[in-house]
Amino acid sequence: MISPSQKRIFWSLVWFSVLILSLPTIIVVGASFTAGNIISFPPDGFSLKWYEKIALARDLRHAFVRSLIVSIICLAVSLPVGTLAGIALTRYRLRFASALQIYLLLPFTIPLIGSGIGMMLLFGSWGILGNLWPVGTAVAVINLPFIIWSVSSSAAVLDQDLELAAANCGAGRIETFLHVTLPGVMPGVITGGLLMFVLAMTEFLVSLLLTDARTVTLPVQIYNNVRSIITPDLAAVSSVFVVIALAAVWLLDRLVGLEIFLKSK
Amino acid sequence: MPFEQDKEHGFRYLLRWRTMDFLEAILDRLWPRRLARFTGWLMMLPALLLVGLLVIGLFQIAESSLHTLDRSTFRPSEDFTLQNYRTILDSATYSWVLLRSVLGAALTVVFTLLLAFPFAYILVRTENAPVRKVLLVTLFLPFFIGQVVRAYGLLIILGTNGMVNQGLGLVGIEPIRLLFSFPAVVFGEVQYMLPFAVLMLAPALTAIPREIEIAASSLGANWLRSLWYITLPMAKPGFVGAGLVVGTLTLTDFAIPVMLGGGSQDFIANAIYDQFFRTADQGLGAALSLVLVAVGSAFVGIVVAVFGVGTLSMGIKK
Repeated sequence: MISPSQKRIFWSLVWFSVLILSLPTIIVVGASFTAGNIISFPPDGFSLKWYEKIALARDLRHAFVRSLIVSIICLAVSLPVGTLAGIALTRYRLRFASALQIYLLLPFTIPLIGSGIGMMLLFGSWGILGNLWPVGTAVAVINLPFIIWSVSSSAAVLDQDLELAAANCGAGRIETFLHVTLPGVMPGVITGGLLMFVLAMTEFLVSLLLTDARTVTLPVQIYNNVRSIITPDLAAVSSVFVVIALAAVWLLDRLVGLEIFLKSK
Repeated sequence: MPFEQDKEHGFRYLLRWRTMDFLEAILDRLWPRRLARFTGWLMMLPALLLVGLLVIGLFQIAESSLHTLDRSTFRPSEDFTLQNYRTILDSATYSWVLLRSVLGAALTVVFTLLLAFPFAYILVRTENAPVRKVLLVTLFLPFFIGQVVRAYGLLIILGTNGMVNQGLGLVGIEPIRLLFSFPAVVFGEVQYMLPFAVLMLAPALTAIPREIEIAASSLGANWLRSLWYITLPMAKPGFVGAGLVVGTLTLTDFAIPVMLGGGSQDFIANAIYDQFFRTADQGLGAALSLVLVAVGSAFVGIVVAVFGVGTLSMGIKK
């Protein structure tokens, strides 16, 4: 099957990839437990003092809460919008469907800095900068294709006859939607929602452009602090993100199974 | 739901049913059934409007790119001019920044695909389920951790007292300055892009039947020949998709160049940011943004024209 020399070469490249992908994470988490005052590896003794410090740091705590609010706003915007669009794309025969797909993929094809600057100018002219809800909305826009894609792939496998059967039994349009269509696409909605939430938690560039000193979110706060001085408290904050990511990967695996991403479409 | 019979009042109509009837009546008023063929568009409307924010934003950028900065008032001047674009064309600094971004993106594509192909191949072909799971988690974890934290991790590793330098010290090599250089930025980009590339490549490799490779080797091809004549050509759509995604994301990246390049290795996005937030020359920054959108679209256009859309066509399944 795979010859020994091919195996050796491929596996050494894979090991290198695994190393560069996971080493930064391991180092950051390791460094957060140091008892010393500078980042060093191996860590200088074991302590939780940096976690105590970030728990007491007002700016980090506020930034974390703001990130949570931004993620919730992003979900509140993108879940209904993305679900409706995903269902419409697969369940209805729309004219100009290919042009529509190109349009809906604009958030991915326009460079992030372009999207961010554009929305900054737009929101600025509307006088709504300085609030958190425009940030949440902007993050929802730039990641919208993820949830549309997730919902529409769920809707594609839903049997169209189920809706007709419901209508045949006397269910109205709203009842059919709430009791047949929506439960049918729920796996896609949940997966998409999970992606949107985590991506909003970690979003950086657009948040950097749309926030000011009073509305800064956690990734932007980390960026600001990295530039001034690197201390282990940042490693502790970063570990919070690692925990969130671990939870997200675990959930994603439970919900749809990571292997689904290997399927050929 | 079974019908419930109330002894005294006769048949009872459930509140839930009444609410539903009420809602259906409202819907029939607002959106009569004869409009049914537009229902799809009605459901699509919020998404169209939301993405519309980006389109209006682009028009805003285009509008402000036509005003130069009035140095006496430090406000954009009133009259329309293409002067900002001329400034970009004439400036050696921006040519360098543009060249650096394109070169960085090209190198990142090459190195990322080089690492992503064996990763995706093993991921798809291995029969060991736990190994596959571990590799998948290794891939997804960084994707969810976010760019800033990942760049911070690389910053620690590559720093003067970082792990790489300590490792070099063990074999008697003096610490070298790894950070804030072009190679450091490219390394950071490769590390950042690897999961994207593998996830774009893997479905294309899954689509290649294992039997074809077996047939090639039973006809006497060694693994290099079967790789070159069978696997790589058949995986081309995956390579095109992965190359496009990695290329455009790197070309337009902001965080890695600024954090690992330390201001000396700016890409276009960094130059745009500086125009808006350091020099406050909005017009020039806006012009640069449009140039970036144009360069990015041109890159996508050329790749698509030469190689076809690859695996990107499945972006939204129909």
